[in-house]
Amino acid sequence: MSSPPGFEQLALQHLEAAYNLAFWLVRSRQDAEDVVQEAYLRALRAFAGFRGEDMRPWLLAIVRHTAYRWLNSRRNSSNVVSIEEAYAGHSERGAAELAAQEPDAEARLIGAAEQDYLLRALARLPAAFREVVVLREIEGLSYREIAAVTGSPIGTIMSRLSRGRRDLRKTLTELLAEDEPNAL
Amino acid sequence: MRCERARDLISPYLDDELGGRDRTALATHLAACAGCAVLALDLRRVAESIAKGGRQRVPATLLARLRASLAAAQRVEGQAPRSQRLPALAGVAWRASLVLAACALTACATWWLRSMAEGTKRLEHDVLAAHIRSLLQESPIAVAAADAHVVKPWFSGRLDFSPKVEDLSAAGFQLLGGRLDYVGDRRVGVLVYKRQLNTINVFVWPHGSGEERLPLLVSRKGYNLLRWTHRGLSYWAISDLSGGELRQLLGLL
Repeated sequence: MSSPPGFEQLALQHLEAAYNLAFWLVRSRQDAEDVVQEAYLRALRAFAGFRGEDMRPWLLAIVRHTAYRWLNSRRNSSNVVSIEEAYAGHSERGAAELAAQEPDAEARLIGAAEQDYLLRALARLPAAFREVVVLREIEGLSYREIAAVTGSPIGTIMSRLSRGRRDLRKTLTELLAEDEPNAL
Repeated sequence: MRCERARDLISPYLDDELGGRDRTALATHLAACAGCAVLALDLRRVAESIAKGGRQRVPATLLARLRASLAAAQRVEGQAPRSQRLPALAGVAWRASLVLAACALTACATWWLRSMAEGTKRLEHDVLAAHIRSLLQESPIAVAAADAHVVKPWFSGRLDFSPKVEDLSAAGFQLLGGRLDYVGDRRVGVLVYKRQLNTINVFVWPHGSGEERLPLLVSRKGYNLLRWTHRGLSYWAISDLSGGELRQLLGLL
């Protein structure tokens, strides 16, 4: 079998997108690295069958598939994913970034911890909603591209994204409300 | 427009994915309804906040690790261009693991060459015959799958191993179902997929030696036959699909 020249150059351009999707699906840095590596090897093997013009959705579909397989294989052994662990080091960064931002007068949902809370809320969202939020907000994919990655119709993408964002807002509001007594 | 409907449309509106009439109607509604306008603002903040803070930095070691493993995988396939340079930061460990991988794979190749001659010819013949037989019969399947959950338990009562059963319709391979067959003097599981008008038989059985084997595509009597191993199982996929299409299964199964 011939190994297609150019795979590496093409695929590595999308490494950040691949890693982010893997991270948000498996919610662990170490595991995300393993998933990405396995997905890239699979993609290399399947590359001869790749006919599309845009590699990113094709590659992300393989990453997603690999991540779900990985999650399934883990489901029996350990069911607990530590969100705190997944976020080691996140708080400091989030806080620093927030400190650098000018407070927004119009903001309804303010608070130093907002972004951090939001990311925690995202980590807790069911995977079907989490993945569309990540592909949309972090990767900036269009609905059509997200449909190609997940194999779901565009209507489904639209309603999952809509519900996902509203759930995030709800969780965030609750978390901020919980915090208030402590702040006083 | 009612608020309930408006709430569903705010998200695609913010994403610029809402067309013509809905777009105008929602804009009018948002101008008039404070509750929905606030929701729209909040959702935009949520979206922006995640876009800003959710991106994870790729660990520096991952790139080196991927380059190394891709290069190793390509080298093994034989015809790959000499691998791209490893970045300087890839340490001794990587080189050592590459050497080890290369040794393991050479051993694998030697073993493969030796056993190829007889065993494989025989298997090819069996698989080809079973495939043709399945096409001659009324139906190639003994258990039909509305979804994979039906097929897997069916196999588990009949085989001493448990093949992974997945419907791959999203990727263009519809799972029709499964059956048993007899290949290489043993009972094997067969997953039957359909792609457009072509039937694909995927034969699965436990892989004896435990070493993973690289995918190989051959043509026999007008059929394409792709075989590989994954996680201790041997897969032989056969169909009159083109080799390229058949190879898509590799990334999926």
